[in-house]
Amino acid sequence: SGINAEYGSSGINAEYGGTPALVTKDGSVDGSKVFYDPGSNKNFTYKYLTGEATNVEGGTRDNGAEKWRKAVEDALAGYLKDNFPAFGSAVYGKLEGDTVSLTVAIENHKYNPDNFYCGKWTSRWSVEFPTSGGYAKVSGHMKVQVHYYEDGNVQLHTKKSAEESVQMGSVEEGARNLVEFIGRAEREYQLGINENYREMSATTFKSLRRALPITKNLVDWHKLHSLNIGRDLMNRTT
Amino acid sequence: KAVVSTQSTGHLVDELLSSIDQPLKVAKDPKKNKDYLLCDYNRDGDSYRSPWSNEFFPPIEDGNAPSDRMRKLEEQANDAFDVYREQYFDGGISSCYFWDEEHGGFSGAILIKKTGDLKNKFRSSWDSIHVIEAHEKGAGRNAHYKLISTVMLWLQNTREGSGQMDLGGSLSRQVEKDLPVTADMFSHIVNIGGMVERMENNIRGILETVYFGRTLTVLNDMRSLVDLESKKAHDKLNQ
Repeated sequence: SGINAEYGSSGINAEYGGTPALVTKDGSVDGSKVFYDPGSNKNFTYKYLTGEATNVEGGTRDNGAEKWRKAVEDALAGYLKDNFPAFGSAVYGKLEGDTVSLTVAIENHKYNPDNFYCGKWTSRWSVEFPTSGGYAKVSGHMKVQVHYYEDGNVQLHTKKSAEESVQMGSVEEGARNLVEFIGRAEREYQLGINENYREMSATTFKSLRRALPITKNLVDWHKLHSLNIGRDLMNRTT
Repeated sequence: KAVVSTQSTGHLVDELLSSIDQPLKVAKDPKKNKDYLLCDYNRDGDSYRSPWSNEFFPPIEDGNAPSDRMRKLEEQANDAFDVYREQYFDGGISSCYFWDEEHGGFSGAILIKKTGDLKNKFRSSWDSIHVIEAHEKGAGRNAHYKLISTVMLWLQNTREGSGQMDLGGSLSRQVEKDLPVTADMFSHIVNIGGMVERMENNIRGILETVYFGRTLTVLNDMRSLVDLESKKAHDKLNQ
């Protein structure tokens, strides 16, 4: 397979006609450079080196799953605008027998070489439910990576998986419930990370090394010499 | 009598800096029953020299040992940094190694390691590597010091709310200074100790900002905890 593993597990943005399209394993058409954008129902060839989408042509949509896929895509758009300053996303859908399978992929990244940092958020949710409605099995994961590299190399890597049964009901209700779950899970994850940071800086980090000795003064290195005099004397007398 | 040239020291420092991504390893000196830290500067083949007994473990014949003068400096440095370590780290392990330089002067490595207590499911560790080069000048009244310091900080946690989290890496800084010395070798320890202390305090502050400020800001910039659409409407109203 020609797909770089990094791209395969999450997504990066490509742009054509002004609409960002995700490059994901789920959207791979030929296992190499051609990908499908479900929102516009188009295939495109992705140029890894430049990040461009070229050779745009008509795609093959699974119409059996389309009404659910579209409903989720529409509900998701509102959630994304509310929570992500920028984003790339894709909702893939297919119908196999009586089972609808949807995959929701969300991505945002920051690239700031002038300030020596970059970051990436990716979340991916798999949804399965019968055409008759009922409950959907939802499972997925969220990942955050941040890299800071001024005079050093500092990296944050976090990942969390989540699962839920979501009630589907009508097509619109189901889409709303699904997006509500995704929003709750992603918010909880982000809050959890923030909470960790509070604890790390307030407790964990401080207990590794103090900012200053308990005396609140720098060490008096001259004073440490008398230790050595004492030690030399001890060595001579024993 | 071991002599390491300045060229290979610089090369070792570069190598050390570029290869730093592993926490310092620890070994126990069976003669003194005390832990010591491992690095290229106390290594000879597969053996490492303990700063406590000045012996190699596993034992080897004719290991790379420091000169008598450097060994005396080492003993004084290890005693002094033991105290420094207690005052700042309240535990941990420290080890100092010194060696003569071929073209005059000497160099040293001061290592410190502190492993955090497992608390609230957080694992953490701090590793310092300070490499110092010293050259006496001005007819023995001053010395020029160059200090290159790297601190590795690792934090890891697995929790229900946030899943698996790893925050780690290192930062490096360097400084050069001219300081007075006396006939007493310990004046070098006073100078080096002061430089290392100030450097570590400085890096600690930067670590705090980068680790707990900058990396979190990048996350919160990618996904907002504040409802963006409401914020837009609110901002518009307040224009």
